[in-house]
Amino acid sequence: MTTHDDTASGARDGAGRGTVNRRSFLAAAGAAATTTALAGCIGGGSDTPTLNVITWEHYARDDVVEAVESAVDVNLEITKSTSSADMFSGWQSGQDEQYDIAVPNNNYVPRFAEAGLVEPAPLDDLDNYPNIYEKFQEFTDGQLSVDGTPYGVPIRFGFYGYGYDSRDVPEHEESWSVLFEGVDGVDLNGKVALYDNHFKAMTAAALHLGYNDAFEGDRITLSESQLEKVKSVLVDQKQSLLSSYIAGDASFVKGIKKGDFHVGHSGRMNLTNMWIDGNDWVEMATPKEGSMSWFEAAVVSKQTDHSDLAWEVIDEYIAPESGATLAREGHAPSVNPQTSEHLSERRNELYGSIDPSRLDGMIPFKAVENEDAWRSVWEEVKTA
Amino acid sequence: MAGADADANGTRTPESGALQRIFGSRRTRLAALLAPSGGLLVALLLAPLSFMVALSFARIGDAYEIIWEPSAANYAALFDGTPFWTTPFFQSLTLSIGVAAATTLVCLVTAFPVAYALARRERGRRIVLFLVLLPFFTMYLVRVYSWYLLFGEGGVLNDLAALLGVGPVGAFDFGIPAIVVGLAHAQFPYMLLTLYAGIDAVDFELVEAARDLGASRVAVFRDVLWPLTLPNVVAGSLFVFVPAFGAFVAPQFLSGSTVLMVGQLIAGRVESYNIASASAAATFVVVLVAVAFGVAVRYARLGASAGGEQ
Repeated sequence: MTTHDDTASGARDGAGRGTVNRRSFLAAAGAAATTTALAGCIGGGSDTPTLNVITWEHYARDDVVEAVESAVDVNLEITKSTSSADMFSGWQSGQDEQYDIAVPNNNYVPRFAEAGLVEPAPLDDLDNYPNIYEKFQEFTDGQLSVDGTPYGVPIRFGFYGYGYDSRDVPEHEESWSVLFEGVDGVDLNGKVALYDNHFKAMTAAALHLGYNDAFEGDRITLSESQLEKVKSVLVDQKQSLLSSYIAGDASFVKGIKKGDFHVGHSGRMNLTNMWIDGNDWVEMATPKEGSMSWFEAAVVSKQTDHSDLAWEVIDEYIAPESGATLAREGHAPSVNPQTSEHLSERRNELYGSIDPSRLDGMIPFKAVENEDAWRSVWEEVKTA
Repeated sequence: MAGADADANGTRTPESGALQRIFGSRRTRLAALLAPSGGLLVALLLAPLSFMVALSFARIGDAYEIIWEPSAANYAALFDGTPFWTTPFFQSLTLSIGVAAATTLVCLVTAFPVAYALARRERGRRIVLFLVLLPFFTMYLVRVYSWYLLFGEGGVLNDLAALLGVGPVGAFDFGIPAIVVGLAHAQFPYMLLTLYAGIDAVDFELVEAARDLGASRVAVFRDVLWPLTLPNVVAGSLFVFVPAFGAFVAPQFLSGSTVLMVGQLIAGRVESYNIASASAAATFVVVLVAVAFGVAVRYARLGASAGGEQ
């Protein structure tokens, strides 16, 4: 108490009006600046390099950052992003000098490589890479490679399907047709939600129409007549079953809880979050026609001064323990099945442990041939 | 030294003389005063607008780079359809005009009586004005979200309707009526305050004179009040129409994204990095609004002067 009073009086000026005079202010500011500078010098004495990473929100969680920083001698500065397109356009405009690592979605890795922004991935030097699912090693050799050279390393993945309210919709054959034709014996008029995204909505419609061949190559290729048919299916669906187009995961959760729709296009991560929150009434369907899936793939900037360290960090993201931490934070499985050993039974049941046979039905996100035509069709659907 | 000002010792220096020459005339003083705001306007409005117009004539390459090869292709693409009124841009444009017009009408019809009452009665005026301005202290997104919770199949309005035994009401679903309600709520204060300023300035002896001469209430409104407040009606309508026309947050939330107004269309093209096409659409909209603005202002002037002659 005495000390506190002394300090308080010491801060007062001679007139005792509770204000700080110019001299004492300058003295205090000088002392503070000196302390800060000293602290900076002491801190600056550390040899730990700092890597700048632009990636998704879950990578910035303290547990994930600490797990990687303690395994690799590095300081991580994470910048959160919500869009692979933003990551790419940012690097195109010079951010490749600012960041060492980016973690876009798989379909953006060829763009980064073709634009000359990223360096080849030294897969042989990554200890954990041989342990990832074989399916993802195939994806690395295929989609993540340009002219036979790999540029990215898969980290996490997830599926798209649809979620439904099991209190209103009974068990049924899991098919994309549920989003476009409904379920026999259930009135779903105005009770179905689709993503407000041309790629997600139109690929769902294309799979419903059985255009699986269009997904075979490096790009998704729909002919003009197929695009017309996709448009027609989407317009019909809009005029009968559609409740709303949902902007994202949060809109799905709000809408299905509020009762605005009973069936909604959704990613598995979304449903997992709902189950963890105790909403056991919502079910996930994996359509028999195949599921669009995303996976994140890390790339390293050609401009980095810490190339080896950057690849060490990426290797750590797929290490059993750190990968499990990342999976736990994001409720999305790691590409390394060994991470399941570090997750609880419940978490493995929800997202951690994936049967490799499930991966066979995966259709990874990929670039679209004639994207302008797709966007145009989507705008026509929205204005129909 | 001729033309030089005096310093502290009474001596004129060349610098002070130059300053006196610059600020000597009324015109240069005015220019100096306007320079900061003019500079801000150029930097924050004209420069981005010019870039947008320039971009509308460029195209975007595969690696998202801007290719400066001037062409009107982006404008042609806006109406590239057979027939042209089936194109998404034209459809979204007409929808936006319709929604903005409906919003303006709702605001005008609801705000005019309130503005009239506020101008005529001093009692409670401050409280009403405070209540009208209250939404300004809340984020626009929050206000739209509150409407989002009210509308929809599972919204509060339909829950109330169900309690009353009238079942789900279609008008309470997401869609155009919900957008108009949301936008009218957001824009109402602009209309009210503009109308209030106009009605408050009306010389009500003219109204009383008209009544004394046997004019009905409707005739007084039509022949006296309306012409005298027309400039404010036009100004208020512009304040409501223009933001409602370009709205994209309220339509996104309150239609469940099932409609595409022109603001949403432009935002969607920007999001997919189709910025040249988005710039062409935005430039077209800016020109359209500017022309409508010019016509409205001219009409208001004519209307006001015609009203003044009566």
